[in-house]
Amino acid sequence: MKALKAQDVEHALRNSRGARVDADIPAKFQRGDRVLTRNMHPAGHTRLPRYARARHGTIAHDYGVFIFPDSHAAGEGPHPQHLYSVRFAASELWGPQAAGQDGIYLDLWDDYLDAVPDAAQ
Amino acid sequence: MNGAHDLGGMHGFGPIEREVDEPVFHAEWERRCFAITVAAGFLGRWNIDMSRYARERMEPGEYLRSSYYEHWLHGLQILLVEQGLLTEDEIAARMAELAAERGG
Repeated sequence: MKALKAQDVEHALRNSRGARVDADIPAKFQRGDRVLTRNMHPAGHTRLPRYARARHGTIAHDYGVFIFPDSHAAGEGPHPQHLYSVRFAASELWGPQAAGQDGIYLDLWDDYLDAVPDAAQ
Repeated sequence: MNGAHDLGGMHGFGPIEREVDEPVFHAEWERRCFAITVAAGFLGRWNIDMSRYARERMEPGEYLRSSYYEHWLHGLQILLVEQGLLTEDEIAARMAELAAERGG
């Protein structure tokens, strides 16, 4: 079994692998695209919160390609894909109890999102 | 999973208490818990997303009654047992041993 010696800790921490993946994987969406989050309730790990499922949002930023936590947590591989900042109008998530013009930004992966057809926007 | 960790939008927990000059750790055991978790991660037997999923699987009532680093400790125990590095019995035996050393 690998053991981390005290003198190796700093090097190990500084060189630990991040979640960003250097791979040329196409993005499904671009900034400004309208998206609909999936209605999903997996028994495993996911970073799509319950309150943001089956909701409409807008792509605010594309961070690039990252490990997909859902498959990674299940030991099913990194399944790298684009990660976005998605803006939701507060009223879309919280209805009439939402404060005016507030927006909520969530970091969401391609596999959580579907395109909204032009006619539905 | 739809666990107790997914708190967004829930009511009834009261206001968030903001501490002035909040310390990174509120007790020495939290510092140790953090260090042991990070060190055990370098065994290479799990990744950060598996760690998060282990914490999420804490029994929901227990999750809500316990603190942040208690979630970490619970998650680490799950991973150590699932990966066959320790058994539940070994953890229980060591806890009993330490309790006896400290006079119960």
